[in-house]
Amino acid sequence: MLKATIDADTFRELIDAISALVGECRLHVSESGIATRAVDTSNVAMISLELDAAAFQTYSATQTEIGLDIAKMKNILGMVGKNDPIDLELDAEGRKLSVSFKSYRYSISLLDTKTIRKDPNPPTLNLPAVVKVTGEVLNNAIKAASVVSDKIAFKIDPTKPAFTMIAEGDTDNIKLELGKDEIEFVQVAEARSLFSLDYLKDMGKVIGRSNLIEIQLGIDHPVQFLFTIAQDSGRVTYLLAPRIEAD
Amino acid sequence: MGVSIRPLLEGCRHPVSFGDIPGVAAIDANNALYQFLSIIRQADGTPLQDTRGRVTSHLSGLLFRTAHFLENGIMPFYIFDGPPPEFKAKTIAGRRGIREAGEVEWVKALERGDTDAAYRAAMQSTRVDSAILGSGKRLLDALGIPWMEAPSEGEAQSASFVNNGIATYSVSQDYDSLLFGATVLVRNLTVSGKRRIGGRQVTISPERIYLSEFLETLGITREQLIQIGILIGTDFNEGIHGIGPKKALKIVREGRFSDVMAEKAPDTDPEPIMEFFLFPPVAEAYQPEWKPPDPDQIIGILCDEYGFSTERIHPVLERIAGPQKGQSGQMRLDAWN
Repeated sequence: MLKATIDADTFRELIDAISALVGECRLHVSESGIATRAVDTSNVAMISLELDAAAFQTYSATQTEIGLDIAKMKNILGMVGKNDPIDLELDAEGRKLSVSFKSYRYSISLLDTKTIRKDPNPPTLNLPAVVKVTGEVLNNAIKAASVVSDKIAFKIDPTKPAFTMIAEGDTDNIKLELGKDEIEFVQVAEARSLFSLDYLKDMGKVIGRSNLIEIQLGIDHPVQFLFTIAQDSGRVTYLLAPRIEAD
Repeated sequence: MGVSIRPLLEGCRHPVSFGDIPGVAAIDANNALYQFLSIIRQADGTPLQDTRGRVTSHLSGLLFRTAHFLENGIMPFYIFDGPPPEFKAKTIAGRRGIREAGEVEWVKALERGDTDAAYRAAMQSTRVDSAILGSGKRLLDALGIPWMEAPSEGEAQSASFVNNGIATYSVSQDYDSLLFGATVLVRNLTVSGKRRIGGRQVTISPERIYLSEFLETLGITREQLIQIGILIGTDFNEGIHGIGPKKALKIVREGRFSDVMAEKAPDTDPEPIMEFFLFPPVAEAYQPEWKPPDPDQIIGILCDEYGFSTERIHPVLERIAGPQKGQSGQMRLDAWN
């Protein structure tokens, strides 16, 4: 069972965060809120997301699992005004979700959860370097790197300390170095890993709206981005596998 | 072959894309190999061969399709046919006739210089022999892809795996899977892409069929669906001349199945066939296991033994096994599991 009201902006944040990686997902609904974990089809990037009941204007639910077509929800959100409250209600069989706003009432067929990839196990990671930066700084670095290359290296030099982002294209390159004034070093350790900008660009659009991003890094290891949505009532973790450099 | 109930499936065949169907795919292996052999051919119908004239179309198909499956989160599990039930002998003999006729026509068409006719005839001459099965299974082992031999029909085994949750859906071109009770059937998974049909290029996409929706749409039970199959002909009996799917549906709905069988096909006993579709011999407990692919073994089979060029195979290997040592490439998250 699920019956809830949520404001359009919060709902949009939720859907955008998921749609950056996947087109459909299993949503776990419980008394305390909703949660999902999904990987993209190539198993390169993962999202884990929790949204507390407090993020909703009203919320009442019992434990269930629904299969959501995220791409479809994104299209529907195109119809919703900025501050419209959205009413969500699951039908008795759990097969359809009604999405109502203003005078519109969509009835959305849910996906059979059996046909959606099972929740992936989070990989076991030991990421020794941790920094915090504003979403805007990170997203701008991603955008700047995309101009010259399709991949970007994140490096942490523990001696300075400095966080460096370097993108090298065939002919051009860009380097952005951030020191203590621009970035918070939570845990200093040597780190360097290379990532595909294809994935980072999509994540960056979501991350860019967040005030503070925690970045966890290692050497040739996945990167983990942790941030909150919905005025801190929701937590998102993005995980991205690295590219491995030619020696 | 299989049962020709396609006209009844209107509205129940849902197009899907590869990304829509992650999960464990129980694949009718003989059917898949047959499809690879029949479609992976040169313009005049000659299959891919190595320098010794051994057919390699199926190896090419298995490798490239497997890579495509894995990239889309589809975990293939190949189910091979075991010994056929006795009453399938006639069908097998019939198929042999078609193949032999195809071989004769292929030679004639090539002599005439008619490549379209040669291609069609060559497709009909397709056979899955023990050499094909053997090399196919060895390649699957090297790829780390699980396979098993069913106690009887592969499709029956696939259906059973779908129903007990070991597989997410059954993959076959034949609709027999539905008669065997597969709750979800995905067709065209092994043949999607640009294909030549009757000399024309067409694009084939995968489609998903839910048994429950299909039965509800027709307003019949699975037993009645099997009755329809028996009337129009299955792999296990010849159908009744003059009865197609629509007529068969009408007969079954009116409850005249037994009467029509007794009148038009007195020599056919539908009971064992019905029994076979409902309770086929299947293995109950089997847990498929996917292992990491062994690049050296794959190169050994494909390049060293069957003469594939390494330039063609390496990029595919990278897609499924990660970059070669010392090369640049995108890693997957499962490397850290």
